[in-house]
Amino acid sequence: MAEEFEPKIVAFLCKWCSSAGSDLAGVSRMEYPPNVIPIQVMCSGSVSPLYILSAFKKGADGVLVSGCHPGDCHYIKGNFYARRRIALVKELLEYMGFDPERFQMSWVSAAEGLKYTEIIKDFVNTLKPLGPQTKLRRNP
Amino acid sequence: MVKLEDLKKEAQRILKSGKVKYIIGYAEGTNSFMPVPVFIKDPEGVEKLIWNPACVHNLTKFIVDEKKRIKQDKNPDERAIGIIVKGCDSRAINVLLQEKYIDREDVYLMGVSCEQTGVVDEKKLTKKLKGESIDHVDFEDDGNFVVTTEKGKTKIPAEEVLADRCIECKANFPVIFDIVFGEKIKKRVDEPFRSVEKIESLPKKDRWKFWEEELSKCIRCYACRSVCPMCYCDECVVDTISFAVEPDTTAEEKAQKIKWIEKSPDLSENIVYHLTRAIHLAGRCIDCGECERVCPLEIPIRFLNKKMEKEAKDLFDYEVGFDPDQPSLVSSFKDEDPEDFIR
Repeated sequence: MAEEFEPKIVAFLCKWCSSAGSDLAGVSRMEYPPNVIPIQVMCSGSVSPLYILSAFKKGADGVLVSGCHPGDCHYIKGNFYARRRIALVKELLEYMGFDPERFQMSWVSAAEGLKYTEIIKDFVNTLKPLGPQTKLRRNP
Repeated sequence: MVKLEDLKKEAQRILKSGKVKYIIGYAEGTNSFMPVPVFIKDPEGVEKLIWNPACVHNLTKFIVDEKKRIKQDKNPDERAIGIIVKGCDSRAINVLLQEKYIDREDVYLMGVSCEQTGVVDEKKLTKKLKGESIDHVDFEDDGNFVVTTEKGKTKIPAEEVLADRCIECKANFPVIFDIVFGEKIKKRVDEPFRSVEKIESLPKKDRWKFWEEELSKCIRCYACRSVCPMCYCDECVVDTISFAVEPDTTAEEKAQKIKWIEKSPDLSENIVYHLTRAIHLAGRCIDCGECERVCPLEIPIRFLNKKMEKEAKDLFDYEVGFDPDQPSLVSSFKDEDPEDFIR
């Protein structure tokens, strides 16, 4: 029997909220799919569009950028900048004919471990029918 | 109409007064009807100056180059540079001012009106005239071009040979200048983003096919980067060797240095390069169309930059190059920015 396709998700989580949120999910022993590779960044505003494109280029099937809720940013306004920039990247990827579902953004606070698990579960479920991401992946 | 005599007189006046160190303008080309950029230092040289619909170049790139040169110079000539700007070029100046890359005193702007039309697309014009050798192109009052060829003069409706960007141009008149020539004629633009909307209306599969085909052609000559007045970073992300290689740098260190984009013209690398460039130019590209003009493989790079311009307008109500005092697109935000895509 052929193995079911398991998508690989790269998640850029901000140190102060989303990363702590994912940590909470872990220490609370909540179950969620192991498809996600978390990368801690200092702020969602520090996620350059190049990180996202680079992740896709290196074979990620989905990319998640997650930060603090608007108004809760540790650096006051980093996530507002992120929101603008990510919106542009999303539009551009869609314009290229890339599957827009493969790229998501979320606000996860340090107390929202449950929300984090739900986001990952939903993300994995949307990616599974799409199959492996081949458009931006660099052929070896 | 722009009176060339006035333009020359003004150029001569500022050169004689010593207000500017030189003037960047357009001069007759040597082997085609397309003009070439010219640098004029002495007042007698102003006779070389011309202005016609074939003056397509964005000369502000030379201001950026000069700024870089001044940084290296021990005794720089701090005087202003005189430059001839069209509508789009003046917006480029605005963006450079906005980013504080140049000061207002660094430039003396001689604005020229594109009349009711704009500039020609060299390829469209040669195709239209089916290989007849063109001597020169001129503006006409009624929105047409007069082309002088070996066989005589022909009148061509402007919209048939106009550069794509000029068809969608919202300001065919300089928005910032010290002196301006020609009348301000507001052109009506019904669909400022027609080319982008055409691609957007395609189904997802066809859009990918279109871009896959176009971007796989790219040979990564970086001509688009070299010609762009906004691509002035000292270190570009695509240059892999931009870190100091010292005698004690080990091979392993060199190998482990992050390379964001590889040099090979592989499709995925090309896409990442062009998308990165589009995002770096979001809210900065003034649609002068130079990248597309210099592309040896005729990749429609403008469509990417125009898309960013459209989204800036639609999502954030941001217009590029009209106000040098507004904060730039990605370094500002509003509380009501859209966030319906975020969970």
